[in-house]
Formats: sequence, C-alpha cells, structure tokens
Amino acid sequence: MRTRVFVAALAAVALGVVAATASASGDRAAANKLTVWLQVDAQSGWPDVVAAANKQFTTDHPGWTVDVQYQNWGDHLQKFDATLAGGNSPDVIEMGNTEMVKYMAAGAFADISSSKATFANSANWLKGLAASGTYGGHLYGVPYYAGSRVVTYRTDAYAKAGIKKLPSSLAEFTAAAHKLAAKNSSTKGFSPVYVAGTDWYFAMSFVYDFGGQIAKTSGGKWQGSLDSPQSIAGLTAFKNFFLAASKASKTSDEAHPAPYDVYAQGGAASIIGPGWYSCCVGNKFKTTTAQFVMPSHKKGQPMPGFLGGSNLAVPASSANKALAADWLKDFTSTDNERALQAKGNIPNATNLLGTSVNERAAAQSWFVPAAKHWVDVENGNILRNMLAQILTGKLTVKQAAASASDNITSVLNGL
Amino acid sequence: MTVAAETTSKWSRRRRLTWARVGRGSVPYLLIAPVVGVLGALLAYPLYRLVVLSLQQYTLFELIQHKGKWIGLDNFRSILQDQVFWHTVLRTVIFTVANVGLTIVGGMLIALLLVRVSGWVRVLVMAGLVLVWAMPQVVAVQVWYWMTNYQNGVVNWVLAELHLGDLQHDWNATTFSSLSLVTLLIVWGALPFVAITLYAALSQVPGELVEAAEIDGAKPSRVFRDVTLPILTPILLILTSLSILWDFGVFVQPYLLINPSHIHPGNYLMSIYLFQEGFQKADYGKGAAISLLMLVIVAAMSFFYVRKMVKVGEVE
Amino acid sequence: MTRRAGWNAVGIALFVVMVFPVFWMVSTAFKPDDQINSLTPTWVSGSPTLGHFSDAIHKAFFWDVVKNSLIIVLVAVGIAMVLAFLAAVALAKYRFTGRKVFIVLMIGIQMIPGTGLIIPLYVVLARYHQVDTLTGVILVYISAVLPFSVWTLRGFILGIPKDLEEAAMVDGSTRLGAFVRILLPLVAPGLVATSVFAFITSWNEYIYARILLNDQAKQTVTVWLSYFQGTSRNVDWGALMAASTLTAIPVVVFFLLLQRRIAFGLTAGAVKG
Repeated sequence: MRTRVFVAALAAVALGVVAATASASGDRAAANKLTVWLQVDAQSGWPDVVAAANKQFTTDHPGWTVDVQYQNWGDHLQKFDATLAGGNSPDVIEMGNTEMVKYMAAGAFADISSSKATFANSANWLKGLAASGTYGGHLYGVPYYAGSRVVTYRTDAYAKAGIKKLPSSLAEFTAAAHKLAAKNSSTKGFSPVYVAGTDWYFAMSFVYDFGGQIAKTSGGKWQGSLDSPQSIAGLTAFKNFFLAASKASKTSDEAHPAPYDVYAQGGAASIIGPGWYSCCVGNKFKTTTAQFVMPSHKKGQPMPGFLGGSNLAVPASSANKALAADWLKDFTSTDNERALQAKGNIPNATNLLGTSVNERAAAQSWFVPAAKHWVDVENGNILRNMLAQILTGKLTVKQAAASASDNITSVLNGL
Repeated sequence: MTVAAETTSKWSRRRRLTWARVGRGSVPYLLIAPVVGVLGALLAYPLYRLVVLSLQQYTLFELIQHKGKWIGLDNFRSILQDQVFWHTVLRTVIFTVANVGLTIVGGMLIALLLVRVSGWVRVLVMAGLVLVWAMPQVVAVQVWYWMTNYQNGVVNWVLAELHLGDLQHDWNATTFSSLSLVTLLIVWGALPFVAITLYAALSQVPGELVEAAEIDGAKPSRVFRDVTLPILTPILLILTSLSILWDFGVFVQPYLLINPSHIHPGNYLMSIYLFQEGFQKADYGKGAAISLLMLVIVAAMSFFYVRKMVKVGEVE
Repeated sequence: MTRRAGWNAVGIALFVVMVFPVFWMVSTAFKPDDQINSLTPTWVSGSPTLGHFSDAIHKAFFWDVVKNSLIIVLVAVGIAMVLAFLAAVALAKYRFTGRKVFIVLMIGIQMIPGTGLIIPLYVVLARYHQVDTLTGVILVYISAVLPFSVWTLRGFILGIPKDLEEAAMVDGSTRLGAFVRILLPLVAPGLVATSVFAFITSWNEYIYARILLNDQAKQTVTVWLSYFQGTSRNVDWGALMAASTLTAIPVVVFFLLLQRRIAFGLTAGAVKG
C-alpha cells in the first residue's frame, strides 16, 4: 500500500511540476505589439535604421511597441511556414527577392497596393525589386534594399602586370587575365580573377549579356531557354573566361571558400561578387583594393549583373495590417534608404542612386524568372550542376544546356 | 567455460523466483503513467496529423488556408513510382549499415580499451570522448569542412605532405567520397556515446566471473564471448537498434558537410530527400508520406534487433 | 606492467585522433583572423589572441542564452530521468497487459523522422500557448529523450546480475520503495550514461529551439550560435569558434561531476553470493 502511494505521489509531483511551470509562463501576444522579422544583417549592419523606424512608429502610434526578431537566412522560411500553420505569423517579414513569388502565389501576403502611394519614392522603385514584390498586378512586397555584383581588384597587382586601363570589354578583361597569370606564375593556384565554378549568379550574367535568358513564358507555360543559341553563346563565353582566369575548383560554390578569403591570402588579383566584399580583404591589401564594373562582351557597356535584394511583406494573417504598412513606410523612408546606401547597399529607388561602382553596376541587371516554382530550381541545384558539367568537360555546352533547360521546364511547370 | 555456464544457469533459476515475488497489480501502470502522459499530450495529435497529411494534398497554399485536399494514396503512389526514391533508399540502407557497423564495433573496442588502461588515461580518454560529444553539430561540421577544404584543408595538406594525395583534393567529387567523409564524421560523433555506455555496461560484469573464467584457462576472446557478451547483450541490442534509427534518419551532418549547393538526387540520403521534397518544395503531404515510408523501412531494418530486445526482457 | 603501458599508449593515440577536430576548434578560437583562413594551416597560433572570446562573451544575450540552456536542459533531463527510470522498472520487473504495446510505442516513436513532426508539433504547442516559452522547449526535449532513456535504462536494469540484486535485498523484501532504493546504486552507471546522453542531446538541439523561441532573450545557446553564421555577409569564424568552445564547457563539467559513478568494479565490493 505504502509503495503504491509512494509511486503515485512521485508521478503526481513530476506531472505537477510540468503543469505548474507551464501555466506560470507563456507569452500571450501583447495587445499593442507589432512583431517584425528582419534578417540579422540589419542587426549587425544598420541597427540605427531599425531604431529610427521604431522611434517614428511609436511616436505616431502611442501605446504601441515594436518587437523586432532577427532571423537567419538559412531557416527563416521554415520558421515562417510553422507560424503560418500555427496562426501566429509576424506582422512584417523580410523576404529575399527570389523567395517572394512562391509565397505571393500561395496567398501568404496581404495586398498593400492601396498603401503604395504612402511609401517614399514608390514611383521610382528599382524595376527589379518592385517586380519581385508584385503578383497579378497587386503589390505585396515593398523594396527594401538591393546589391549588385562588381569586380573587386588589387590595384598593385594590376599595375605590376602592366594593366594601365581598366578593361572595358570582356575581351580586354580576358587579355588582362593572361597578363596577370604570367606575372604571378610563381604563386601556386593563383587566380587572376577568382570565380567559383558553380557561381550561377555570375555565369548567368553571360547568358543575359549575349541576349539569352533562363526561361520564358509562352502560352501560360514556362519554357527553359538555356538551349537557345544566344544562351549557349553566353555559356561558352563563361566557360572560356573561367578557364582563362580562375583556378577555383570547378565544382565549388561562391561561398566555400569565400572569395575574399582567397583574395586576402594573396590567391587572387581580383574577385567577383557583391560590393561589400571590400570589407573583408584583409589587412595586407586594404589600401590597394578598388572596384570596377564587370564589362560586357560589347565594348564600353557593363555586363548585366544579378540584382539581389530584399522585400518587406505583411503576412495576410496579421491582425495589424494597416499598422504594419505604416511601419513599412517608416522603415523605407528616404532618410533610412540614404542610411542604407551609406552602408554600401543599393537603395530602393532610382532617384536615390549615387555613382558608386555598386550602383553603376545595377544600371544593367537581370533577375530570375518570376515563377512560383523558381526556388525549386535553385534548391535542386540545376544551374550549378549544369555549370559543373560544362567546366569539367563531362558534357558539351550544348548537351548540358539542353538537359538543364528540359529540367527547368518541368520544374517551373510544377511537374 | 564450465564455471561460466553453470553460474549463468544458476542465475536463470533464481531469476524466476525473484520475478514471481515482486508481483503485479496497479503498480506498473502507475510507473508508466507519467511517461504515457507526457508523450501522449505532446505527440498524439502530431502523429495523427502526420497520417492525415500523408493522405492530403497540402502545399503552402493549403497550409495558409488551414485546409487540405483529400487525395487518398496519391502521395504514396507518386513517391513509390519515383526512381529517385528507390535509389535513395538503397543508398541510405548501405550508408546505415556502414555507419552502424563502424560505430558499434568501434565503440566496443574503445570500451574494452578503457577497461585495460590506467586510471588517468581512462579519465583522459573519457574526457576526450565527452569533448567530442559536446561539440555542437553545426560547429563540428564546420571544423570538418575546414579540415577537408579544397583550398587549405589541413587533412589535404597532411595527405600531400605524406605523399598520399594532392593538395587540392575535392572530397565532393564523387558521391562515394563525399558520403565516406560524412560517414567518418558521423561515426566520430557517435563513438563517444556508444563507448561510454558500453563501458558503463562492462562495469556490471562481475570481476569474479571474469577471473574465474581466466583461471579456468580461457583466452580473452573466449572470456569475452562467453562471459562478457551475454551480459552486454541487452545494451548492445539497444545501441544497435538506436544506431540504425539515428543513422538512417541523420540529417544535419550530411546536409551541411556536403553543403546545400552540392546536394543533388545523386547523393541524396533519405532525410535529405524528405527535406528537399517535403519542405523545400513546401509539399507537406508528400513530406508526411515520406516520413511514414521511412518509418516502415527503418522498422524493417531494425525488426530483428528489436524483437530480440523484447524477448531478452521476456524471461519466461 | 608493459601490457598496461601498451594499452595506455593506444589510449593516448586514440585521444589525440578523436580530439583533433576539437583541438582545431579551440586553437582557431585563439588565432588572429588572418591565420584562420591561411593557405598553410597554423597548428598553434604563435600570436594567440583573446579577442574572439571577448567578442563572444560581449555579444548580445550571451549570458541569457547560457542561463536559458542550463535551465531547459537541467529541468528536462531531471524530469526525464525520473520518469524514464520509473517506466524502465515497470518494463523490466513487471508483467502487465499492454506491456508489449508500450514497448513497441517506445521504439516506434523513435523511428519517426524528427523533421516530419516539426510543423504538427508547433501547431500543438501554439494551441497550449507554449510557443516562445522555455517550458514548451522543455516539454519537447523531455519527449525527445524519454523513449530512448526508457529503453536504455530497461537494458541496464535487465543487465544487473540477479546474484547482486538478491544479495543486496534484505530479508527478501518485496516493497517497491525498498526495491527501488536497492536498484538505484546498481544501475547508477547506466543512469549516468543515459543522463549525459540526454544532457548533450538537449544542449545541442537546434531546430526545435529555433522554431519555438523568438525572443532573443529566451533563446538557447545553439540558436545564439547560429546568429554568427546567419547573415549573408562575412562570418566571424574566430568568434564562432570561441563561442562554441565556451558553450561546450557546461557539458564537460556536467560529465566530470558524474564520471566517477561510471566506475569499473563498482560491483567488486558486492556481498558474495
């Protein structure tokens, strides 16, 4: 008898502790709280911008607080999906511009077209960013900031190799690469222009430069276009450029290793990537680093660069849509965009654009097909595999492009 | 040998007596009530949901609407007709067998080693094992990535110095080499737990029995087989079954070490296949179906061990 | 004697090989930035710096997340061990209807891929208002650790030689309480191994903590660590390695406190049968 009581008591205590602590805590959604999800880039890069927006918002709406919760790029969508299922999504969420379409097509966001006029410089939004936030003619995402791709190079290495003028065409750049290779032949694995083999952001620039594209719509269905003659010309040009200029692994991606690390170790005379790469070139080359715009194969023109960036959207299940839109207005104000620009980003409107290399490169840009299944193409590494096959010589450019094109057609059409 | 055999049979007789004396009644139910309560409260609904989802079309659109569309066994049909699924199953089964084998054998050897070393070496090795065990998975993957890096990995550097390989060896070049590397990483991370648990189990082997057998003239391998192994059987069965479960469904290490940008159907493991098809493509119905199929497969793989485990406890 | 010295040498060699990646993590934590990514590996930095450790400790919420992780893990492990031990005793010592079902459930639950359960579990916890709370995470961790712990403890209890059990039982007492008190020391090594496992599994768990905890002041160590790598920009490897080194310390401490109980020859002093 005693033992049973003992056991029952033990069990009860155990359950009781759990129950007690459960009821004691629990963060019910505060009545007047706006929940905002931004990426950690904002927390480490421009906390002042966030603070300014919050200050403006709380001044306009007394009694309200703003809870900014910082997310990682790697898993923020999984978290978002969970909150969509659980019914407690944030009021504002930052999305990468390639991530927008899928969620817009699924009805995840509120239609904020009616608030468009209140957003600063909305008439002059960058075409690429604005397009990624629009679906079926309605506005769902406000452009936040953008980034383009430039060439970051060592002025000393270029000078030593006798390159007096910055290349203004692809042919000139390739010739410069040969000169750099000759001058630095003693350094093992030295890349005149370090570019990762499967850096599809860079490789596709060649495709668009030669007039090709990744995919196009025809009759309501998607059609992969990497097998068109122009696309193939672009891919061939990329292959030739890579073989001449980069000693990177043919199967590596653009983050492993980070190009700026290779640069900092003296393994490259130039690297191609976002403008902020110049932050991390190491102490040795800090003073001899500059940037220029990647030239097109047509002399004097920039090669179209991939316009990366973020949009800000309001989930449809938010209970505070009007206030969320108001916060968006405060966050993307002209002053804030100028502050973002000062930190090396491209602001969201053409009338704010300056003349930094980053911004000049954005003048000619390309963007991924606005298909709701585009992220599946990215996640399936279709473009990366194609580039690896081309560079390693496993397949000819024509074969690899044809296979990738077929793949893209079926994936984009949801098959 | 005779001494051990005699003692063991004497035990089973005594076991019978003890069993009868401890008794039945409501006590066992009270004992398992808390566990049933916690697991039931938390997992009953999700498990039910999982089965329901597998029979529905439930993509991002349906998720937002909170309503799925019934499509019966279509999810299962499309998965079972997918070549990628079958290749992935085969690849994962081979992968699991390799991992489990290396882990259990390695763990057993380390446990036996721990018994034979001096006190200070034992603490050193155990502390080392715990350090390995304590390393956050994401960080461990990152360190392994550095060590095998194409550009400047120390492993490649050592291999080059020893003239066993080239400085810029690309471990991701073939599926076999990248999964071998993943196997090394997983076994390295799994050894501490298995080794320490087996060492704890070894401490239950009475010294007198071992001595008696040795006095009898039995060689160490005989002693191990006849005395130690029977006592370790329950634990070994558990560790093997659990290793099969864990290694079959392992996700973090392969996904991060091979790296999302190198993942493709040719090097999918089951958990990655689930992640890509179910989550990345936001097809939760399919994801649920794949989860259930994984459950069936892993149940089949571990069936033999689990059955033995249950029997061992059955006694008479 | 040389026999033992031989084994000792093997043990030390094993230590060196196993611990190498950990050593690399710790050594990197002390390296200045340019040595971290150098083309020729630096084994031990010639100019070590404590800067990364300072960066890690001063990074926002460091002490909060350590506190949160300790609370979550200690509570979860504590409760789970008690519950699991009770259930394991029931499974090992009693015969009752539903036993087989319970056993199958314990092993079956483990066979379900964790990734598949994320969203349904989140929905359940949201319903109980346990999202963004420490208790929600504690509940998830208890459930994650229970099945395995029940299983392993059952195995350890079954593995106790009946000889010792009976010898330790005075006047053939059948009282459960006395029984448990006798069983406990005999199964101590198993309890320790299981609780260390539960501790480490919970301490290093990432995905559920990430999904469930939003408030940065409530997050755990693993989520906090992920912020070092979460941006699309430069990763501060030195700080990440320093932070990881620091967060591994509680686990090692926990283990060192308990490791004496995994003593070989614990039974050596048992009453002769």
